[in-house]
Amino acid sequence: MILRIIIDVLMVIGLYFALAGTKGVLKMPDAFCRMQASTCISTLGMLCVMIGALLYAIFVMHSASTAVKVALVGVFIMVTNPIGSHAIAKGAYKAGIRPEKEMTVDEYGRDLNE
Amino acid sequence: MQKTRFPAVISTFIVCYIFWLLLTWPFGADGVAVQELVAGGVVSLAVALFSARFFIHEKSFWLFNPAKFFSLIAYAFGTFFSELIKANCDMAKRCYGGCKDVNPGIVKIPVDVESEYGQAMLANSITLTPGTITMDIAEEEGKTYYYVHWIDVKSTGEEAGEAIKGKLERGVRRVFR
Repeated sequence: MILRIIIDVLMVIGLYFALAGTKGVLKMPDAFCRMQASTCISTLGMLCVMIGALLYAIFVMHSASTAVKVALVGVFIMVTNPIGSHAIAKGAYKAGIRPEKEMTVDEYGRDLNE
Repeated sequence: MQKTRFPAVISTFIVCYIFWLLLTWPFGADGVAVQELVAGGVVSLAVALFSARFFIHEKSFWLFNPAKFFSLIAYAFGTFFSELIKANCDMAKRCYGGCKDVNPGIVKIPVDVESEYGQAMLANSITLTPGTITMDIAEEEGKTYYYVHWIDVKSTGEEAGEAIKGKLERGVRRVFR
């Protein structure tokens, strides 16, 4: 019973952060800030749901294979996700996307133009 | 491009085989244990032969040293996780607060990690922390710099580096040079 409560609380925390990320993706002012907000979804939003699923697989389903696979899904998302966002951010900048409001400091643009 | 080295192949093979074992966890549940293990070995060896030269450029058995491996685990579940939670709470506050409280910019920060793995790991850790994305790595006069997109610019140069990656860098340096 207590275990189910812990699992549900973890899932709700994950959903809270995923909702925050979604709101950020919709409302942030420019492309780079939107990407920053989306990182919320794939880190703590995903991790809390995964920990909940791991506890469920171990203590409710009693299935070692499911538990190992859930843990591996978490590890692979954590390893591969930053490479994608790094590539998208760099590609967007090189393709000439700039925020409408001028950035406070832009040392990348300064060094690219040299 | 590097040549394929024998220790690198062994090391890549072990990593591939461990992942195969984990993915097919309860081996022999329906009496095909030997078949699964042998097939995994053959596939891992083929993958290791083709990809070792891209996967490992420096010391091959660095992470098989238990001290380094446990400091990697401690980094992932201790330092990195606490930073992740802090940054996530900050980001969630900004998002629920109407997304007006942002001050974005790209800063250039100096990095004090030498090995390729260390640099990649630090860059990925920075990108995974909400609020900062690593955009590029530059090398100038023997020193390494990251260009980081930061959602709330407070300072530049060394100070910004300490604010963005101070704790993370000290954790990474315990694992890789």
